[in-house]
Amino acid sequence: MALKELIRTIAMELVDHPDQVVVTEIAGENNSLIELRVAKEDIGKVIGKEGRTAQSMRTILTAVSTKLGRRAHLDIVD
Amino acid sequence: MSSITTDSKLDEASAGDAANGAHLSGPGDHDDQARASAPEIDESQLDEQTSRALGFVRKLVDKMDMKADVFLAPDDGEDGSEDEIRLEIEGPDAGRIIGKKGAVLEAIQYLTTRVVHRPGSRRRHVSVDAEGYRARHEDQLSQMAKRLGQRVATEGKVITFDPMTPRDRRIVHMALREFPGVRTESIGEEPDRRIQIIPNRAG
Repeated sequence: MALKELIRTIAMELVDHPDQVVVTEIAGENNSLIELRVAKEDIGKVIGKEGRTAQSMRTILTAVSTKLGRRAHLDIVD
Repeated sequence: MSSITTDSKLDEASAGDAANGAHLSGPGDHDDQARASAPEIDESQLDEQTSRALGFVRKLVDKMDMKADVFLAPDDGEDGSEDEIRLEIEGPDAGRIIGKKGAVLEAIQYLTTRVVHRPGSRRRHVSVDAEGYRARHEDQLSQMAKRLGQRVATEGKVITFDPMTPRDRRIVHMALREFPGVRTESIGEEPDRRIQIIPNRAG
């Protein structure tokens, strides 16, 4: 839940259509798969040049999930 | 000679410092602590980009569930960067916010830069620091650049750095901007772009 909110918060600030940001979390016992969906024209904004924006979100996600004793994976769904 | 990576001990030290700081403040009182050390800046007078940056990092630190406060640092006007947006993070969780080799801090700074730059907005440098980590890192890098600049000037041979971020390359360029006998250039493409220190006269 916390991880999902984290990604949602970041994504909403990056895109032109925050109302179309959808984040789902599939939580296992010790791991989470976070799926991020944004408007088609916003996909580039959450991936970024050389994937740096996505990489930055993953770095932050890892830091937070480690604190929670979990592993998390961020998937940007297009 | 060409192997110049930036830091290794720094982040460990910062993480330790921050951990030590944790028991200095009781639960819940870190707000007051940070406010006491924050410079007096009227946040209602901020331009849109600065206030967006500040709001974003505060929200992010909160959603990361980190105990830390974010405030605006006064611009020191150094290196001709008067227009920089400088944010500082302080608190018990600063070590986690910095991350290994500053990776988490770098990620926060990168995302903040993205958020601040909307189409048509002015291009500004955004710097996010935590417990002085970046300041120390930049200081060391700048010192190293000058030592190497001296060597290039004396020996007349080109030194090529390992790939660095644009931010770190800028620090090296700035450190050697008026350094006698050498100039700096970047070669290659991101993310493998490297700085070279080049003697003005081969010899």
